[in-house]
Amino acid sequence: MQRRRGLWLVFAVVLFGLAAWLMLSGQGEVEVAPPPTVAFPKRLRPEERQRMESRRTYVMPTVDSGTAADPKPLKPTDPVLAALPRGKGKTAMVIEANAIRHSPLGELLLECMMRRGGDDLERFKKETGVDPLKDLDRLVITDEGLIVSGNFGDKKLKDLLSGRGSTNYDYGDGARIFEPTFERNLSDGGTVRRDGPRVGLWNDQMLVFGRSPDGVKQVIDRVEGRGPDEPPVISESSTYGEMYGVVSVEQLKKMFPPDQQELALKLAEVAENVELHVDARSDFAMTAQVKGSNADKVTDLGKSLGGALSLARMRAQAEGEKELAQLLDFAKVNPDGEEFRLELAVPLEVIKEQLAFCREQRDSTASQDAKPQEAQPTP
Amino acid sequence: MSGVLGIAGYVLREAAARKFILAFLLGVTGVLVTLSLSLRIEVVDGALAASRLFGEVMDTNILAVDVALRPIFMAAAAIVFYGGILFGIVSCSDFAPSLLSPGRIEHLLALPLRRWHILAGTFLGVMTLAVCAALYGSLGLVLIFGVKTGYWTVGPIISALLACVSFAAVYAVMLTTATVIRSAALCAALGGLTMVAGIIAGYRAKIAPFIEEGLSRELFKAVTLLLPRLSSLAQASMDLAASAPLGVQSLSMLLAGVLVFGLGMLAVGFWWFEGRDY
Repeated sequence: MQRRRGLWLVFAVVLFGLAAWLMLSGQGEVEVAPPPTVAFPKRLRPEERQRMESRRTYVMPTVDSGTAADPKPLKPTDPVLAALPRGKGKTAMVIEANAIRHSPLGELLLECMMRRGGDDLERFKKETGVDPLKDLDRLVITDEGLIVSGNFGDKKLKDLLSGRGSTNYDYGDGARIFEPTFERNLSDGGTVRRDGPRVGLWNDQMLVFGRSPDGVKQVIDRVEGRGPDEPPVISESSTYGEMYGVVSVEQLKKMFPPDQQELALKLAEVAENVELHVDARSDFAMTAQVKGSNADKVTDLGKSLGGALSLARMRAQAEGEKELAQLLDFAKVNPDGEEFRLELAVPLEVIKEQLAFCREQRDSTASQDAKPQEAQPTP
Repeated sequence: MSGVLGIAGYVLREAAARKFILAFLLGVTGVLVTLSLSLRIEVVDGALAASRLFGEVMDTNILAVDVALRPIFMAAAAIVFYGGILFGIVSCSDFAPSLLSPGRIEHLLALPLRRWHILAGTFLGVMTLAVCAALYGSLGLVLIFGVKTGYWTVGPIISALLACVSFAAVYAVMLTTATVIRSAALCAALGGLTMVAGIIAGYRAKIAPFIEEGLSRELFKAVTLLLPRLSSLAQASMDLAASAPLGVQSLSMLLAGVLVFGLGMLAVGFWWFEGRDY
């Protein structure tokens, strides 16, 4: 009887030991990282407000006719924002090149660009005097062309633009227009002359690329205050994120895949424009603000979009595409009367995995370069 | 074995006779019925487009149903886990002391049963009760949200069963206490203490650095090494309910560890009960 009783105690001690081992192994001593959270760009953050204020550098010159009793001093403006198109149905996307360059995403992209040693970048720097990694500040893509802001004061750039017999002339208060032409030798010995993009250099800090000289001049006119009175498509208060801007519904329709054309048509019918903001400081988080005039139709469109995203997520889960499903986990539509906000995110880890081939290629190139050196006998 | 089942049946009959348990079941039923009648959910292509509780708009965001339901299922799992254990401690604290009370124990000991059969039967009866209650509540919740949203998941049911395993560890302590001192209040107090200790044990890796290095920290680590990691299991049950990635290294090992702790505690109870004179 006593022996059997003692066995229970032995049994208990063994069980406690086993339980401790099981719990220790099961829980693990290392703390698990918290689940990923994504910060979506929704409004100006303090550092972005500071950036916005520091960019108000240009005071438009005024012609004093002597009629005003007490002329009000003009406020300085941001020349890049002033250069943006005006009115409805226009597209302008601003890429904060400098901010993206110094973000983790920028580092990854740079790694990809430099995987072949960065010879192209060096050649570009040598020929133009512009270091894209240091001298670029913002890049704006519009329907009419491209606007690049930064430091373009190097003489080499002007020489390059004005070389090869291209026409160039001053325009407005501080701009110079370049109309380069390119020659190409033909196989029969003749040459063909082709007009290159029209380029405007404003105050050594903004390059404007356009299809026609008039297009470039219109941009310069807007910067120097000779444009229409309408406000630019992007207001100062909307300059948050590392990429931001307004995309016209027509442009957006083209971006939809063929199987989503029904949704694209609905979007074109309901929305007036779409404001985009992308935060690339850690993860790639995007918000798209869709505005329309009919609240019911906008809400319906929001529901359709939410449904499309949910279906895409379910499909990704069913087909075992873990990364895509994880990406769409953060997809959300937030309706608010005549507008709704769509949120989408790509975690940085997913981007890293996608761009891993760049690092592998770079490593293999480096090891190949190193091999011949190792083979050389040391003197 | 039939002796163990007989005692378990006796415990269940005793539970059915108690108004407290019946009130609990009616309460859970009431919550489920109210939820099913007052909650209106609109789903478009698998996305939760609108939800209203008692006619009030709850959340305006449109997102995938399972993502939208995650916080609800997580909260439900947490309530089932901690609330269920607490309710179990209070409602079941009296079973063992009353079974071992003078008069009854002599009658039970006169039956052709081994002593450990009595304790094992009580344990089995209480655990049957806990599993039935957990399944009833979690299945009801899954059914309501499944019918309303078309999203079916076994997550909340599994998390409820995890809560039962945790309660098994807590109740084993209570049952062993009852063999030493026949007091419902002491059983409940030690059950509550085990629950708190189990929560602390789950966070031992986080808490340990705040304790002065040396003997006290090593003592803390040694004591919490043996205790059931209830908070870790609670977190895992919430993760499971929400179909989120698990934060623990191996759920099956952790679960087995907590269950084995309960069995170990039960073995201590058997040892003590075998040597006791009534």
